[in-house]
Amino acid sequence: MAADRPVRILLSILGLDQHEAGAFAVARLLRDAGMEVIYLGRFGTPATVVDSALEEGVDVIGLSCHSWEYLYYLDELFELLKSRALDIPVVVGGSVLSQDDKNEIQAKGVAATFGPGADAGEIVQQIRHLAESRGAA
Amino acid sequence: MTERTTQSGIPLRPFYTAADVASGGDDEGARERLNDPGEYPFTRGRLASPRRRESWIHQELSGEGTARRSNEQFRQLIEKGARGLDVIGDAPTMSAMDPDHPLARHAVGNTGVSICRFQDFEDLYADLPLNELTFSHSLPPGAYTVAAIHRVAKGRGFDPKELRGSTILLPAYCEDCSYQIHMPYDLRMRLALDSIEFAATEMPRFHAFLEDTYYISDGGLNGVEEMALGFVEIREIVRTLIARGVDVDSFAPRIAILVNCRMDLFEEVAKIRATRRIFARMMREEFGAKDPRSWSCAITAHTSGLSLTMAQPVNNVARGAVQGLALALAGVQAVEISCFDEAYRTPSHDSHMVSLRTQQIVQLEAGADRVADPLGGSYFVESLTDELERRILDMVADIESKGTLKEVSESGWFRQLFQTAMTRRAKAIQDGSETQVGLNAFEIPEDEDKLLRDHSESKLEPCWDRIDEIRKFKDDRDAGGVAEHFARIQEVGAATEVNLIEPIADALEADLTQGEIAGALRLGVGEVYDPLGQMEPPV
Repeated sequence: MAADRPVRILLSILGLDQHEAGAFAVARLLRDAGMEVIYLGRFGTPATVVDSALEEGVDVIGLSCHSWEYLYYLDELFELLKSRALDIPVVVGGSVLSQDDKNEIQAKGVAATFGPGADAGEIVQQIRHLAESRGAA
Repeated sequence: MTERTTQSGIPLRPFYTAADVASGGDDEGARERLNDPGEYPFTRGRLASPRRRESWIHQELSGEGTARRSNEQFRQLIEKGARGLDVIGDAPTMSAMDPDHPLARHAVGNTGVSICRFQDFEDLYADLPLNELTFSHSLPPGAYTVAAIHRVAKGRGFDPKELRGSTILLPAYCEDCSYQIHMPYDLRMRLALDSIEFAATEMPRFHAFLEDTYYISDGGLNGVEEMALGFVEIREIVRTLIARGVDVDSFAPRIAILVNCRMDLFEEVAKIRATRRIFARMMREEFGAKDPRSWSCAITAHTSGLSLTMAQPVNNVARGAVQGLALALAGVQAVEISCFDEAYRTPSHDSHMVSLRTQQIVQLEAGADRVADPLGGSYFVESLTDELERRILDMVADIESKGTLKEVSESGWFRQLFQTAMTRRAKAIQDGSETQVGLNAFEIPEDEDKLLRDHSESKLEPCWDRIDEIRKFKDDRDAGGVAEHFARIQEVGAATEVNLIEPIADALEADLTQGEIAGALRLGVGEVYDPLGQMEPPV
């Protein structure tokens, strides 16, 4: 049954943003919650993220950030998703997300944001909710 | 919480007595473990009395945009009372990549200074008295800095032998905690060893051997792990230099450790005291250093960025004061207090000023360094110092039993350690076992959290202009010189008996960039030019 398959999420860090602490912690959290995490790690670009998302058939794309590079890559990422007719929700989490940043990137189309004090339960719940609409549980 | 522990997990008693101190107050034992400040094993400090006027070197991490802009920043800091400069590179610089690398696109100059060519170093130090200030560099790999500052000093008529400052080394763990310079272990180690050997004779007052345990600790590792990994690396480098035939007393006096200072006040003080004792005994007993200067390690410290929060940024000012106090009580040679906006950005002019003033207040108003080692003899601090020493040495022995540093590093063991620590720390914040006021305790609603917020969250734009500037620079330079030195770097990369510093300095002067030199070195040792597969060699 399609609805019984676990949530698949890709985690990546873009450009030369290299602090992985948040990404590791979230990867563990999501795995512990029964999700399948495809950890792309550092040095991602919009193109590598979209290619992998397609190849791996993920339900959600997760970006981790510790620098501001993600801000400048998001437009390109959304354009690529659109050009390939992919409707995969993108979530962003990281230590440098301010409220203004959250508002700005949600306006660009980011489905959910998780700042430095984000609650673990809420992260899991929101990602699960986004994935459910795509047939994962 | 049922059991009280230190940040690194050492269980605490309700109070401490003479029975908790290993030397038990016995004269001989006390002398062996403590002695006076300035005396072996230097537990109580490197110097008998803090140098009168100078005390520790007040510095603040700085660097943004171009080297010219950063030079402006330096001058402002000096004008405000800084006694040393501490330069940090942006992400491409820290990764030995040029600004025109496609992956660097949105990371140029907004998390530090962009440095990739000789002219950048000239601009960075322009008009600064190279023989008076100390220049600390977080600009890996340090070999570039050693090569460049030596040439800049000579060019401006300063004797390189007068240069003071430091550059961090990144041989073993950089890949695991955010400084990926895309070089194999052997090459990283060689760059470090060649820098140290070169500086030992050419820049004898400069610390080309700065073991950076800050970034280990700020990856989430605790104080025991921080110092154990630091010592494993120091020991490997010392052993290798001795095996090269370098006299231990020629470089050991210039070994320094850049430690982190997190929020556990007493543990941080004890960690630094234990570090001095471990270092002294190791150098004298194990490595046979004869010069007493080889036994006392210079310690410089940055306060932890990880301990600072984006929530209620003004709270970070209080954290900086506590950490500054810890460092003054421990007795260190130089201090940098991370600024209140650290959780979001590299420091602004105003936040720099607050950190610098914090140092001045701790020293000049609180008088925390008027006597050496004011906590010496405290039952608690001595007990904690002994316990940390034991735990650090146990961990060093454990790591060394796993194989050579190269084997352990390449096996992914360190990466696993970092990964575990990062996850452990995130969990401690999530479940509240580690308190961060304003983040997981005493939170206030976002719309009430205003004080210093706008200031702390102002962004620096990437310097996209700089990318064009470097492209044009590469197009306009003398192609013949570039080709010649590119070939030379490949050649010396392959010839391990040649010290790399002079060839690197020559190449920089011939307008080869840091990214190109890194690529040529990689080709020299049989690796690809650009491991990220996006750049072509210049020739």
